[in-house]
Amino acid sequence: MELAGMSQTKAYLHGNGDMKKTLVVVFLRGGADGLALVPAVGDDGYHRLRPRIAVSEKEAIKLDDRFGLNPLMSALSPAVKEGALTTVHCAGSEAATHSHFEAQDLVEHGGNSGGGWLGRFLRFRERTSAGALSAVALGRTVPESLRGAPSATAMDSINDFAFTGSDHFVRSLQLLYRDQAGVFGARANDTFRAMDRLRKLHSKDYTPANNTQYGSDRFSTELRLAAQLIKAGLGTEAITIDLGGWDSHISQGPSIRSNITRLANGLAAFRRDMGAEMKNTTVVVMSEFGRRVTENSVLGTDHGRGGVMFVLGEDGAGGRVIADWRELTQENLISPGDLPVTTDYRDVLSPILRQHAPDADMAKVFPDHSEKAV
Amino acid sequence: MKHDRRAFLKASSAAALVGTAGCNQAPEALWPLTGLPERPPADFTPPSAESIDLVSHVINRLTFGPTPRLRSSILRLAKREGEAVDQFIEQQLAPEKIDDSRAEHRVRIFETLASDPIGEFYEFQPGLLREELTRATLMRAVYSERQLLEVMVRFWSDHFNIDISKGECKWLKPADDRDVIRPHAMGNFADLLTASAKSQAMLTYLDGRENRVRDKSDKPNENYARELLELHTLGVDGGYSQRDVMEIARCLSGWRIGRGLLQNGTVQFEPGLHDSGSKTVLGQSIPARRGMEGRKDFTDVLSIVSTHPSTASHIATKLCRRFIDDAPPAPAIEKVAAKFIATDGSIPDTLRALFSLDAFRKQRGNKFKQPMHLIASALRATEAETDAGRPLIQYLTRTGHMPFEYPSPDGYPDVAEAWQSTLLWRWNFAARLGRGRIAGTRYDRDRLAKRGGGLAKLAAHFLGRKPSEEELATIEESDNPIGLLLASPGFQWS
Repeated sequence: MELAGMSQTKAYLHGNGDMKKTLVVVFLRGGADGLALVPAVGDDGYHRLRPRIAVSEKEAIKLDDRFGLNPLMSALSPAVKEGALTTVHCAGSEAATHSHFEAQDLVEHGGNSGGGWLGRFLRFRERTSAGALSAVALGRTVPESLRGAPSATAMDSINDFAFTGSDHFVRSLQLLYRDQAGVFGARANDTFRAMDRLRKLHSKDYTPANNTQYGSDRFSTELRLAAQLIKAGLGTEAITIDLGGWDSHISQGPSIRSNITRLANGLAAFRRDMGAEMKNTTVVVMSEFGRRVTENSVLGTDHGRGGVMFVLGEDGAGGRVIADWRELTQENLISPGDLPVTTDYRDVLSPILRQHAPDADMAKVFPDHSEKAV
Repeated sequence: MKHDRRAFLKASSAAALVGTAGCNQAPEALWPLTGLPERPPADFTPPSAESIDLVSHVINRLTFGPTPRLRSSILRLAKREGEAVDQFIEQQLAPEKIDDSRAEHRVRIFETLASDPIGEFYEFQPGLLREELTRATLMRAVYSERQLLEVMVRFWSDHFNIDISKGECKWLKPADDRDVIRPHAMGNFADLLTASAKSQAMLTYLDGRENRVRDKSDKPNENYARELLELHTLGVDGGYSQRDVMEIARCLSGWRIGRGLLQNGTVQFEPGLHDSGSKTVLGQSIPARRGMEGRKDFTDVLSIVSTHPSTASHIATKLCRRFIDDAPPAPAIEKVAAKFIATDGSIPDTLRALFSLDAFRKQRGNKFKQPMHLIASALRATEAETDAGRPLIQYLTRTGHMPFEYPSPDGYPDVAEAWQSTLLWRWNFAARLGRGRIAGTRYDRDRLAKRGGGLAKLAAHFLGRKPSEEELATIEESDNPIGLLLASPGFQWS
């Protein structure tokens, strides 16, 4: 039974998930303030334009001579030291509307296209095809970025990701599919293998590695689930997680304080739990836009343009701050007082996607975008 | 008895929730208000041959799958099986003559889809529009009597694919489905193409509305012109050049969607945005035209491309791939293309020719069901009641087959290979439906068993043929026989 389909099995194999890389996309909904996450503490203009809400140079966790991490993100200090965290400042899209809805749509679609960039990334491949468990949206709905994916599962709990038939049912299926030949038979075998792994996933409680203690908040719980799925080797290539609550028009300090901590603690726990598996895992943190540079009268910030992206990967792969920075003076800001977008989010994502799936058709993932090396 | 509107709504929604039980006393004339009456049980005559018989084959291909009553109702059409099948095909080729009020009654609850004029769609949340359009699509696939029309609506929706998530398509696609695809799906190809070319959603999806030539320095937007040739008409190897793409883009410049209260989203020609010079399209010259005369370029272009012989073979190839085989035989394509040309692109006439081919009649059980076909056929086979809500729809996301969400202009692929990685969710769906564990969707297991008169006959109904001894033994042993049948290899193919 030496059929073309059999030789392709490896590439298609769901059960062979441990050969695959996983991209975790964390979307900070509401327009996260890049200058709160990564303050330009070495820039006088930053302190001048944010007299009451700026982070002082002393408090910040030093990244380089200009930038530091918000002190609430101290959990990520080891990741910074070990070169696992890359920060991109003044990152963003062409969306100039300042509307959450339109900007999120544009960013998640990867431009003015149909479908999401992750969905197209999974669908348009030259050699491989994404398996039934290739994309997971943690939460109740599938986000726009995954629209058009060859498979996408919205997952509230691990129970949403299970085969619901009884063992007896599976055995009967195996009998019925026993004599199926060709690609169809091979896919059936793949599926039985994937079901085996799913069963193992459900058979015992998950214990995070390296004594990792995840927080009890939703974001941490979802990252824990992400780690569990990745380690189960199900061929999961993309996981999306939303973290909302960044729309800090009023009293920015207290309103996003807990969110900043949650973000850092969650990512740090995930990195610790994943350990060496971070070699095949990349976490990207992004938002629809950054916020106005000048603080407003009620100690908040309004919708802006350039923001911050984080890339968390293997040790030594990152560590720098990518920014085409212009000193924070009024003339260097773009109307009505926003950080300019000097790095397009697609230019950050493209090299990662190519590394994760060299046969992805990048012209279809980001149509109408000419890539600029970051 | 006093019937106010609220009482009617209450009765009808209660009926939708509990299925049809309890409403069988309602007089037929009242059911559009009171919910659906129980239909009298029809005789159930499952197939008895070792392999898929002709009636089952035609059901598999022209519909979203057999219902317990469909096979016997076809056989009643004529004494001889062949004649009965031909009559059924004729019926399905003329959907306008089929009463479909039951299915229409079901989709009437999706009120957003009735928005008119088109500007009214903008009053709704895009998520709600998408949800209602998807649910209505699945409902019609399951319940419509105009089954071939529904099959063709899916076919043309892929052929003229519009991803609802692109820009304003989120408001405009429901109108394209209602006013472009559905009215013409079983009409004439040139009419369908023309309607699509002037569809607000298509003008948005492929940037036709951005195709403006104000002066010599303006370059026309070629997106639509390219897909018009490559996907909608001649096909990628249809014998056109990049120059033809550019010339067509010039011809089609100046069409836009009107704004404001008086215009209400109508598609208009604006001479100031049109390239008025002369052009040459596929060897035919189009004269320079001034002012509103420039509109005629549109008619000329569509006439040139819709009657081009490559268009006939391109459409014929895709129809044969849909109805015959993933790799359809060349002689079949030629015959279907010839009929397409001879009838000036009449879709029913072309299909009639296709359905009479030996290639169509003899290749059976060789098309892998796309996920939506699988789901619809499972609901039809079990005579399920469904609200097509999220617990059901999620299987379309998990199997990557949400209608109107294919992320590039070529539409969902129509070959087995593209769909065979979806078995896990197909089996999951089958196991759950079999046990009645999909919220908002259920079937009456006892009634189905009683009607079937034994598992062997029931299995034959699902598979379109007698089950093999091994199949039957496995199914008889199962604690979820219906789920197992729906998940079995035989049920994945049509």
